[in-house]
Amino acid sequence: MTSKLTRRGVLRAGMATSGAALLSGLPATRLLAQEPEKPTEIIVRAWGGEWVEALKKGVSDPFTEMTGIAVRHDLTEDNEIQPKVWAAVAQGRVPPIHINWDTTTNATKSALRGVTEDLSDLSNLANTTELAKPVGLDGYPLVNTYGYVYVLAYRPDAFPDGPPNSWKDLLDPKFKGRIALYNDGIGFHFPAQVAGGGSLDDIPENMDACWDFVRQIKEQNPLLGEDPDFTTWFQNGEIDAACTISTNALGAKRNGVDLAWTVPEEGCKFDTDCLWIPKNLPENELYWAKQYINLALTQEGQQVWLDGLGLPGVVPGLTPPEGLAGDPSYPTEPEDFERLIRISSAVQVQNESDWFAKFKEIMQG
Amino acid sequence: MSQENDTKTFRYPLRWRIMDALEAALDVLWPRRLSPYSGWALIMPALLLVGILVLGLFQIAESSLHVLDRSTFMPAEEYTLANYEMVADSATYWRVLWRSLLGAGLTVFFTLLLALPYSYIMVRTPSAAVRKALLVALFLPFFIGQVVRAYGILIVLGTSGAVNDVLGLFGVEPVRLLFNFPAVVFGLVQYMLPFAVLMLAPALTAIPRETETAASSLGANWVRTFWHVVIPMAKPGLVGAGLVVGTLSLTDFAMPAMLGGGSQDFIANAIYDQFFRTADQGLGAALALLLVALGSILVGIVIAVFGAGTLGMGGKK
Repeated sequence: MTSKLTRRGVLRAGMATSGAALLSGLPATRLLAQEPEKPTEIIVRAWGGEWVEALKKGVSDPFTEMTGIAVRHDLTEDNEIQPKVWAAVAQGRVPPIHINWDTTTNATKSALRGVTEDLSDLSNLANTTELAKPVGLDGYPLVNTYGYVYVLAYRPDAFPDGPPNSWKDLLDPKFKGRIALYNDGIGFHFPAQVAGGGSLDDIPENMDACWDFVRQIKEQNPLLGEDPDFTTWFQNGEIDAACTISTNALGAKRNGVDLAWTVPEEGCKFDTDCLWIPKNLPENELYWAKQYINLALTQEGQQVWLDGLGLPGVVPGLTPPEGLAGDPSYPTEPEDFERLIRISSAVQVQNESDWFAKFKEIMQG
Repeated sequence: MSQENDTKTFRYPLRWRIMDALEAALDVLWPRRLSPYSGWALIMPALLLVGILVLGLFQIAESSLHVLDRSTFMPAEEYTLANYEMVADSATYWRVLWRSLLGAGLTVFFTLLLALPYSYIMVRTPSAAVRKALLVALFLPFFIGQVVRAYGILIVLGTSGAVNDVLGLFGVEPVRLLFNFPAVVFGLVQYMLPFAVLMLAPALTAIPRETETAASSLGANWVRTFWHVVIPMAKPGLVGAGLVVGTLSLTDFAMPAMLGGGSQDFIANAIYDQFFRTADQGLGAALALLLVALGSILVGIVIAVFGAGTLGMGGKK
């Protein structure tokens, strides 16, 4: 009688055993014998600044400590690595990274294109909340690792009467040239739909209210940038308020900038980021890349990583970072989500390009 | 007898031996019968480079004829001109196109305005120290990359930057100097100035000093000499520098991205958005081809107006 060994079978067996070894904190030399050959390093694409520092501390360093495999962080922008990975997979080449730390919307595009490995066999998925599961996709072509909120971050001295209650407060003439948004409007479309008098139920069919409000905001000459820009602009006193991910506001605050954030009455966009592995990796490297993601889903890994980011994870029982318990940017209970806007990835993936184009059309005027 | 001695004592120089060896090797590699084709052989590397570029352009042209299928995020199979129609129908792209042209035009104007006197002083100054100082001032920023220079401008012109600090000494409230169209043009001029000076200097050096002396002896003052003698004679340098500065500015990405505050995109920024932000490579390819076409047409117009001879390439004078 012969038993046929399949790739999946080997991976599953290896993951169950050496995954347990990883969790128990065994040193590299004592990991189990049947594990595949270790690469000298694995490459994880990440965002820079406090983002990569948090990942390094929470996941990468423990992974290296446990396996002996070095982790190199590739800080290429998520949007820029995407076509490179797509091209590598299409041409049958080994992709330039082992793991992509990505927005769920972007990653969903890659999953639809069929360039992502299935992660259903990660043992630690069993310990995760519903948030970890990608919506509208079969299996786990990606694993959501935490949620985040595009808050209204502001400098308290610019709002002496207290936190802004509404996104419409940004229309005050004194904020002309003093507010900032992402340069594709991401995070702002949905609250703008509400602030413009529209309904979230009309997304994506009718977003006139959103574009009307964006036009009003345009009159305020907002600065448009990416994550690092917001921190810099706040630090340099260029802006008083911004629609940005709470992590950037937290990062600026930790760097000594007097900054606060709020969820206005119209709500804020809630979304998730994820980890995924591109296809065409050698078998052994795929195995260790999966181990990395498995480690990122442990309670210890999530606790340290997300303490750095100040974001809620996908494993139950995490302790909120100091000062963030009950914060609107750190939703954990169902009632915390009442003022947060969550639109399915499927809708975002199908319409995002049009929204970006419309936002650009208004802002480039 | 003495002749025999001469032959014995003559030592064939090593340099000659090397040259003979090289010539023999060349004969093997490129026999004399192929000498009529030597010109082609010399130009072959350039032709290869251009060939690769043209091949890439064909591929870009091919992908510009496919729209993005958003159910799979792959290019659709069908060939269509939809991407070009989208560009033609979009007010945003026309605006970006116009901004790019205007930005490039203003950059050429201001860069040449600054580069001409700079080059003239650098070429004509009798003081070696002044010439060296001007060269150092020119080359120092030249060795610094565009992105680093843009960051430098962000620091200097920022709300809490050096310029606003100086204005503050005179009681002027901090003003927003960045993140607008003039800031982008300023950054481009600052970046392009060394290119223009380097292209103008040889043209000015080629103008004999005696022509200016002759103009003066005939009663022309310095301004008239400069206007009627120096500038016309420097035309090849001015046109060449203008072409280089104009095409580089038209296709620039970093300055609009960094100094424009996100609302002053040039065509290159729009192309980037399509390739990297919305993953629509077809639309990005269409925009890229339009940019190539626009640049080529502009260069063609300049050569048609001023003549290839102006650029030192012979032909029309």
